[in-house]
Amino acid sequence: MRKTLWSIVLALLPIVAAAQDAYVIGVSGAMTGPVAPNYAPVVEAMKAYLEHLNGRGGVNGKPVRVVVLDDQAQPSRAATNAKQLLAQDKVVMLLNASLSSTYAPMIAEAKRAGVPLYFAGAVCPKETYPPADPLQFCSTAFGANLDSQAALGFVKAHAREPVKIGFQAMAIPIARAEIDYAEGLAKTLGMTPVEKQISPPPAPDYTPFATKLKEAEPNWVWSWSPWVSQVRTFEALRRLGWNGRYITWAHLNAEDELARIRDGEFYVIGTNAFMEDNLPVHAEMRAIAARTKLDYPVSYLTEGFVAGFVVEAALRNTAWPPTPQKVLAAMNNLKVDLKGLRGGPLEWTKDNHFRTRQYYRVWRWDPASNRVVRAQDWQAIDVKR
Amino acid sequence: MQLAVNIVVLASIYALICCGYVLIYRVSRVLSLAHGELMMLGAYGLYATASLFGGHPVLAVAAAGTLAFCVGIVVYAALMWRMTGESVLAAVLATIALGILLRGAMILVFGTQTQYPLRDLGWSNASLAVGSARISAVGLALVLATALTYGALFAFLRGTRWGIRMRAAGQNPLLAAQRGIGLHGVYALAWGLATFTGGMAGMLIACDAGLEGTLVVIGLKAFPAALVGGLDSLAGALVGSLVVSAAEVLLIHYVDPLLSDVVPFVVLLAMLAVRPWGLFGTREELDRV
Repeated sequence: MRKTLWSIVLALLPIVAAAQDAYVIGVSGAMTGPVAPNYAPVVEAMKAYLEHLNGRGGVNGKPVRVVVLDDQAQPSRAATNAKQLLAQDKVVMLLNASLSSTYAPMIAEAKRAGVPLYFAGAVCPKETYPPADPLQFCSTAFGANLDSQAALGFVKAHAREPVKIGFQAMAIPIARAEIDYAEGLAKTLGMTPVEKQISPPPAPDYTPFATKLKEAEPNWVWSWSPWVSQVRTFEALRRLGWNGRYITWAHLNAEDELARIRDGEFYVIGTNAFMEDNLPVHAEMRAIAARTKLDYPVSYLTEGFVAGFVVEAALRNTAWPPTPQKVLAAMNNLKVDLKGLRGGPLEWTKDNHFRTRQYYRVWRWDPASNRVVRAQDWQAIDVKR
Repeated sequence: MQLAVNIVVLASIYALICCGYVLIYRVSRVLSLAHGELMMLGAYGLYATASLFGGHPVLAVAAAGTLAFCVGIVVYAALMWRMTGESVLAAVLATIALGILLRGAMILVFGTQTQYPLRDLGWSNASLAVGSARISAVGLALVLATALTYGALFAFLRGTRWGIRMRAAGQNPLLAAQRGIGLHGVYALAWGLATFTGGMAGMLIACDAGLEGTLVVIGLKAFPAALVGGLDSLAGALVGSLVVSAAEVLLIHYVDPLLSDVVPFVVLLAMLAVRPWGLFGTREELDRV
């Protein structure tokens, strides 16, 4: 019996030693399940980038070990994952890439352990905006209220006639709150809100929702929801004969989807560059994706590479040996060069764990040139609240 | 007019899905809670055959349909035949386990990205005029497929030897077996047909709206329609689907779109309070369950 115990201890020693010789970060993400397409590419891309970094000597001469646990977007699994990552893997940074329902248990565990919690690819909680919660950080592209400000700003600038605007959202709290906010904002901008459609997740047929929207005769529609709800409503509207203009959020798959839909009046607004830009960093992304044989198209990976750059910068500013307190100090004063993947650097301060400035671009399909084109270049909004 | 078209399309979706629930329940008294997953598997079958038979869309659709039918037979042969003679609860639990297994396997094999089988087939979803209303080409295909399926099933169950055997096995399996009807063959056929019709629903929904993991949930959303109509009646499934979809579409239009998720279950609760065996269900059969 004693022999067996000693052999287990001896077998585990190299693992413990390896763990202690690396920066260990832990991710709880929706890697499988119905919402996985929104989150899994972010985690996979971030992991691929950090592995690529390890191949080039790691950070400060030490490798970065990423422990990924699947929570299937279930709060109970997220709680178990957070406990395991903190107690067993002794991570210095926790990451969440999952539905907002998983936030509360992870925040509770992170607070108990005093470990920074970074939301990558997941909706930024309001606690990351100024004045920020000391432990919560976020780099995800979309930002509540700011997105509607940017989108309606674009509509106002590009409207050919008085704007009669319709709204569409999925029946989830964050999307409904955003669309309610947008409705109020539209009035202050001199637009006329004509209809608001909230569809359940998922609907077998979006035509009944689109029918009501079409009957209100909007010349613009703003939709802020998961992609399926945004685009199915648009497609149903078009099949009903609606010929207005539709602007919606650019999720991970937006670039590919613009090429699939091929509609000149379908706009997407977002904060990440498209592969169409063909930046030097895109060549690097393509090479890493090919080497690690990622399952997703390269155009889905920008958000994950942004997260990889952020983790790299935070750990680079963390002196060895790392502790959660040192990582937290580094994250509280961070400026990350995103190499053109966004309109400017991502900057976190002690009070602002979202970003000090958010940059937006708008794209559409150009039927004349048969490719995705920019409808508006980077426009910055300062994040002050 | 547009509302009527919307009701008919939604009712067709529900009816085509319900068909599988009813066929299996009617013949073997088993409630298949893996129907949503089998439906999604049928859709992935089309995605796979569309890639395999590039440039031959009709062949791809036929292959996917055949595949769905065979999957149903295999499910019965590999798993459900062991449940014959066991309690109904054991069989239902087996279908839940099957559903979980299929969901995991589909993620492993096909990943989590949205797929577009219609594009892979080289077809587009055009918008067609029906009087003053409009319907998508896939929506029209759904309506026609549902009408054909139900027509063929009614004819099959009433006019063919195997159909009569299926009805006999559903009414009294012991007596049917004593009269020389091979129950395993009948049950396997029911699973094959149910998976074929469910798979067809999955294929058409995937052609209309893309193929992703949420298709399973849509499979479950049709379940109240089957219960409203009566779980052992094909005619009931048709009428139940029409009632539920009419309530859904009209409430979306005239009251609040948020009610669309709740309304099938409100109709179901009302039906359970007034007539628990459904509009066309058999009273004594449900009492046994």
